[in-house]
Amino acid sequence: MRSFRKLSLLLVFTCISLLAVSQSVSVSGKVTDSKGEGVPGINVIVRGSSKGTATGNDGTFTINAPANSTLVFSGVGFAQQEVSLNGRTRIDVQLAASQNELNEVVVTALGINRQAKSLVYATQTIKPAELTGVRDANNVLGSLQGKVANAVITQGSGGVGSGARIILRGNRSIQGNNNALIVVDGVPIDNSTYSTAGSDFGPVQGSDGASNINPDDIESVTVLRGASAAALYGSQAGNGVIVITTKKGSKDRISVSLNSGAVFESAFSLPKVQNSYGQGNSGAFVDSLTGDSWGPKMTGQPWVNYLGQPTTYSPQPDNIKNFFRTAPSFNNSISVSGGNDKSQTYLSYTNNSNSGIVPGNSLLRHTATLRLTNQISKKFSTDAKVTYIIQDIYNRPRTGEENAPTIDIYNIPRNVSTAEAEQYQFISNVGVPSPTPYPSTLTSIYQNPYWLIHNTAINESRNRVMGFLSAKYQIVPWLSFTGRANLDRTFNKLTTQYAQGTLLWAHSGGYYQQQTITTTQKWFDGIFEGNNQITRDFKVNYHAGIIFQDVQSDQLTNTADGLNVTNKFSLNYATNPNMYQYGDQVQTQAAFGQASFSFKDAVFVDASLRNDWDSRLPKPYSFQYYSLGASAVLSDLMALPNGLSFLKASINYAEVGNGGQFGLLNSTYSYSQGAGNGFLSRSTTLPFPTLKPEIVKNLEAGIEARFMDNRLGFTLTYYKSNSSNQLLSINLPTATGYSTQYINAGNIQNQGVELVLNATPVRTKDINWDITLNFALNRNKVVKLSEDIKTVYLSGGYGRSATPVVKEGGSYGDMLSFKWIKDSKGNYELNADGTPYTTYLSGDPQEYIGNFNPKETMGLTNTIRYKAFSLRALIDGRIGGVIVSGTELNLAFSGIPEITEKYREGGWSLGGVDVNGVPVTKAITSQQFWQVASGKRYGVAEFFTYDATNFRVRELSLGYDIPLHSKVFVKGARISAIARNVFWIYRGKSILDIPGLGKRKMDFDPDMSLGNGNFQGIEYGTLPATRTYGLNLQLTF
Amino acid sequence: MKRVKIILDKRLLAVLLGSIVVLASCTKSYDKINVDKNSIATIGPAELPFLFSKALDVAPGAYYNYQVAQNLFADQYCQYFACEATYFPSDRLTIRMDWVGAAFNPMYTDVMPQLQTIFANTDSSSAEHAMAEVWWVYTFHRVTDYWGPIPYFSAGTPGNSVPYDPQDKIYDDFFKRLTEAVAVLKTHAGANAFGTFDLIYGGDVNRWVKFANSLRLRLALRISKVDPARAQSEAEAAVASGVMTTSAAITDPAAMTAGDDAFVSRSAKNTDGNGLQSMSDWNEFRMSASMASVLNGYQDPRLPEYFLPTYSTGTAYKGLRNGLSVPELGLTPNLANNNSHVGKRWASTNIVDKDGNVIGSANSIATGQNVMCTAEVYFLRAEGALLGWNMGGTAKDLYEAGITNSLIQWNVTDPATIAAYISSTKTPIAPGDQQNSPAMTNIPVKFGADPATQLEQIMTQKWLALYPDGMEAWADYRRSHVLKLYPVVHSDNPDITDPTTQWIRRIPFLLSEQQNNEAAVTAAVGLLGGPDKVTTPLWWDKN
Repeated sequence: MRSFRKLSLLLVFTCISLLAVSQSVSVSGKVTDSKGEGVPGINVIVRGSSKGTATGNDGTFTINAPANSTLVFSGVGFAQQEVSLNGRTRIDVQLAASQNELNEVVVTALGINRQAKSLVYATQTIKPAELTGVRDANNVLGSLQGKVANAVITQGSGGVGSGARIILRGNRSIQGNNNALIVVDGVPIDNSTYSTAGSDFGPVQGSDGASNINPDDIESVTVLRGASAAALYGSQAGNGVIVITTKKGSKDRISVSLNSGAVFESAFSLPKVQNSYGQGNSGAFVDSLTGDSWGPKMTGQPWVNYLGQPTTYSPQPDNIKNFFRTAPSFNNSISVSGGNDKSQTYLSYTNNSNSGIVPGNSLLRHTATLRLTNQISKKFSTDAKVTYIIQDIYNRPRTGEENAPTIDIYNIPRNVSTAEAEQYQFISNVGVPSPTPYPSTLTSIYQNPYWLIHNTAINESRNRVMGFLSAKYQIVPWLSFTGRANLDRTFNKLTTQYAQGTLLWAHSGGYYQQQTITTTQKWFDGIFEGNNQITRDFKVNYHAGIIFQDVQSDQLTNTADGLNVTNKFSLNYATNPNMYQYGDQVQTQAAFGQASFSFKDAVFVDASLRNDWDSRLPKPYSFQYYSLGASAVLSDLMALPNGLSFLKASINYAEVGNGGQFGLLNSTYSYSQGAGNGFLSRSTTLPFPTLKPEIVKNLEAGIEARFMDNRLGFTLTYYKSNSSNQLLSINLPTATGYSTQYINAGNIQNQGVELVLNATPVRTKDINWDITLNFALNRNKVVKLSEDIKTVYLSGGYGRSATPVVKEGGSYGDMLSFKWIKDSKGNYELNADGTPYTTYLSGDPQEYIGNFNPKETMGLTNTIRYKAFSLRALIDGRIGGVIVSGTELNLAFSGIPEITEKYREGGWSLGGVDVNGVPVTKAITSQQFWQVASGKRYGVAEFFTYDATNFRVRELSLGYDIPLHSKVFVKGARISAIARNVFWIYRGKSILDIPGLGKRKMDFDPDMSLGNGNFQGIEYGTLPATRTYGLNLQLTF
Repeated sequence: MKRVKIILDKRLLAVLLGSIVVLASCTKSYDKINVDKNSIATIGPAELPFLFSKALDVAPGAYYNYQVAQNLFADQYCQYFACEATYFPSDRLTIRMDWVGAAFNPMYTDVMPQLQTIFANTDSSSAEHAMAEVWWVYTFHRVTDYWGPIPYFSAGTPGNSVPYDPQDKIYDDFFKRLTEAVAVLKTHAGANAFGTFDLIYGGDVNRWVKFANSLRLRLALRISKVDPARAQSEAEAAVASGVMTTSAAITDPAAMTAGDDAFVSRSAKNTDGNGLQSMSDWNEFRMSASMASVLNGYQDPRLPEYFLPTYSTGTAYKGLRNGLSVPELGLTPNLANNNSHVGKRWASTNIVDKDGNVIGSANSIATGQNVMCTAEVYFLRAEGALLGWNMGGTAKDLYEAGITNSLIQWNVTDPATIAAYISSTKTPIAPGDQQNSPAMTNIPVKFGADPATQLEQIMTQKWLALYPDGMEAWADYRRSHVLKLYPVVHSDNPDITDPTTQWIRRIPFLLSEQQNNEAAVTAAVGLLGGPDKVTTPLWWDKN
């Protein structure tokens, strides 16, 4: 803490001293193309600031800039050019067109900079402004939503700071991780999530590693979707890589940037509920503690509520909405960047204060970064960075079914008012809060959500330090060596407390658990880089190096289920302290070589080879894999038709290996506390001494083309990846003494097409319109699992709604559920009482109802700039896939959803037949129908399954660059109004066409999921989707 | 250019080779890295007692499995409890096969490997070895009595399939193991084995002899219809060798018994608590109408120990019928608050009365788990005596001793109360439930004159005494079929169309076994002597 304070002080002093400097002049000039004609719409920006303008119709511009600053000229179809003012006030620039743009440098694997046009695989670069403009307050990954082709991003539902899931090119790992690897400044960061949903029971979604990345520090983001692009990362890169490069200090001037944003988040897409019938059963009153809303029509009848107070039996249409709050979030950051040719400094501090829509849920995060780059001698340079993060999250809400405030408030009877529900406790004669009675369908499961938010807490406190030291030595002009040491250490302290009286968890005196999880990742590498011009046309660029990585995790869990002094949430008061310790460690070492040959700067051949030694594998721990690819810039090799300014084709093949899983080779016994002296239990997993690494094989081919002076361009990529030798856990006959066994088997295939299209339909002095479209389709096929196993579950046990699986012959993420039985003629089967006859009743196994993955994904960004205003809108969507609403399944039993309002009085004939094909004409009531479909806790999910197709306006922003006088020390000021999740364009319908009801519209957000693991496709008590509005102010000095 | 190439090649080669050598030498610690440092890799004499504790802990139903292994099935089918939860179909005779595996799988993964490791690492003449053998029989008789044929003789051998064995052969092995174990244990009379690691008798070998013989007696009566001769010889040998004779009152639910009754100690660590207690907060079950009819009718002094008065009245003891439909469960008389919850012994501090007074205790999670009680042994002997076997007493004396020991065990120690109960002529009453059920039966406590009444009295009192061990009570009900339980109100099971003449006789082979051990299950159906359904009787079920 002390060092942190010092850092803040340093920062403040630096700012103050810097503000005094810099003096501005007015600069004007003209931008022309190679033919000497003025080019409109070229961005002119003062380097190191956000201050800028654009050229007019004739190519002229005027800008206020510090006398010693550098102007950056950029525009679609032109190579970026930088010009130092050196005191000049008139600058004329001729921009080189077309192909030179591809001299643009892309940061690839291991932080290696490569010329974009030499790459043999597809990459996509996301500009930092697209991340920080309309930022997702939860997680920087959320800000990538809709912008990355073929990415499926779902947000784990755990309130502020929850982990997100980002899947590139489909799912491939069954029991492992499918998330893209997150790389910051060349080195993978720890992106683990300490707790995520494996069922709909009542999970806690923890924060991931990526949510700690400060968007304001990001210089660039490159997405490497395919294995070829990522092969150098080895094991972890099979799922694709998000390469993030952070800012360094600038060379020639000192600048200070301030960013201040305030956004307000509120629930939208709340469940649609009926407001006609109140507490009761079968249309009649039972008593005021009844949880179900199957009572009589609410007409303001006199009523004594469950608290014994006289009131009226009246609809409370807002009793759900009132529970959620409009939550403000503030983001304030300052960065100072400066230096000279020899040494540069970048220093930033960001403060995030976010609150969630569930009252009490909040996040406070401080991020401080210091980066020093030095050119010590002509040959020797260093780069060092340290980032320290302190993050505290309070009152993380549970989701799913148990102890989850969301499902509890949704279950509130339709006639219970907010004022009544808020009387959630009384203070007993010994001063202890006790829950007041509360109406609920299951008194042991569902409780007053106001009790939960006030008397329970799940808190997370994280300290994280990330840093590296890197040194580069230029041995000879064509050969250099870079050594790097990287440390990423996360210390999580997680506490859970339930006051006495909380259902399910709290025993006498209350419940307290404290868990500490320490994860340390060490990474060392040494890389030679060489460049040789072998003949005039033939060049080679190569890298060779070694990598050492060690990831160690230690967990200590102390549980006090029962506190000697009531509600004293400290381990000291534990009635029966229980302790559990666990640790794992994975070490990998690698040697790799990579070479890229170029001919005439237009034909490229690329090859890489890597060998890994992995501690998870049996002796000799070693495996290798490689990549091979070629590309040709056809537009440089042959004459192309007019209008086609650039054409490139590429093809590549790569394999990536993955070392497996910790601790599978040997059988072990573990101790647990208990009666007597405690127990030793043998692991129920059969040891797997012949473990092999997983291999992902990836073929990719692409075309990149640009037309009409680069005003239109696209990249089209085809890929096919096969993931084999997967580590699968299969069930054994337990009579062997083991319940599971791991095998290497399977073949999971993803293939698809990705299209990224850029266009500038309008480019004039005042108006500029840019369009970016990405569209992708992915087809997944489970080609093979193993001889012994045809289905693997993506969740563990006691499924309440549907079960996501991986089934041979199907696709990853097929959903199984109980179904409404149809006879061979397609008639629905009914029980004798007229209710649906389902496979839940017949005892048949669960069957296929759909797949949770989209078939196609797309994102469309339109940016329109008019003078100082800019308007940007992002529409994104997914086509195909299903999602099961466990929430609706749960609520339908209790007569809460709007859909249960119809047929309350009976008279609903489903027109089906009995098992013998004889028509059943018996009419039923809404209650009969929905209680058979739902079962409340274990139901027939098919009734509650929806087509997950949806389109929405994801982001909307309107920015204004405030005109500034050159005398003012503020050099750039931009204010923008922003909105996220603005409105729905389309949402899918339920898959069942229920006689008398038809298909119903979805009323929830299919992109919210219980967690960020492989258990997907089920929405169950997840937090409602949120809409965010806000303002952002950016100042540069 | 050539020079460049050479330099390049040499340098790169050197670096690459050098790094590979360095790396290869760095993998020395890999085997150590790949193991959780908190675990144990090898088992020696010091570790064996911990394995025994684990086996004792899991076999009677580990607390997290108790509901899905026992309460939703055996406890309902012997009608100790009826289901309150609309979403559990088992009370209407539909079995969720993915749940009931909790009575099967842990026995093979958390008990069997422990016991087999003890067998492999101890001398067969040692008390420790013999105690493990006794526990083996206890564990697997519960498994085979649920399913019939089970993997047995080849269990514990690695592979992708383990064959099922016929129940008669398994029972034969049970008797053999118990006989041999008792012989070994008697050579260690007065000794202590496993000490505090023995969670039942604290290592007292003498009481393990009694327990082993009592178990042998239980199994003998189990086969009394299918193999009367073997049953008689096993039963007489068991009684002659010495069975449980003395109950002691337990006032502290967590204390180890001083009598012969077998309970497994539980702790309050929330890792191995009492299964019935752990699910008592969930309000998913209540007293059955059968128990209400008999206990209320007899004004049974155990009633306040077994159950709580209803929440809504605070005084009355009420039960609901088994197999109610979802709409019926929503009717006022069937609501949880209007029926009796499991007794104080299994009540946590979350169980409160209408005025908010806490009924349960913080320590109830450590309530010992019932394994076998002395009362049962007297009733077994009484039944044997009725059959004309030499059980060391008359049926009447043994019947009355059974009642006496059960009352003492449940803390009813006043001799006058016990005597009054034994001579009581009160009979079960109509439980006053939503279904307006009649009295379950008409027999009094006072021992009757004709053998049919006597047998029903013995079986009914045994049913009361076995509470809450539904596993044994359900097996006993199926074997004897004397107890006059109510038919379930509704059966959703297409194989049981008439609940007045049909009842659940076994659990079908597990779905998971059909998936993972398919060939063996197919062969096992042949051993069953009927289709793989709930209606197919087990080998010893001749009703």
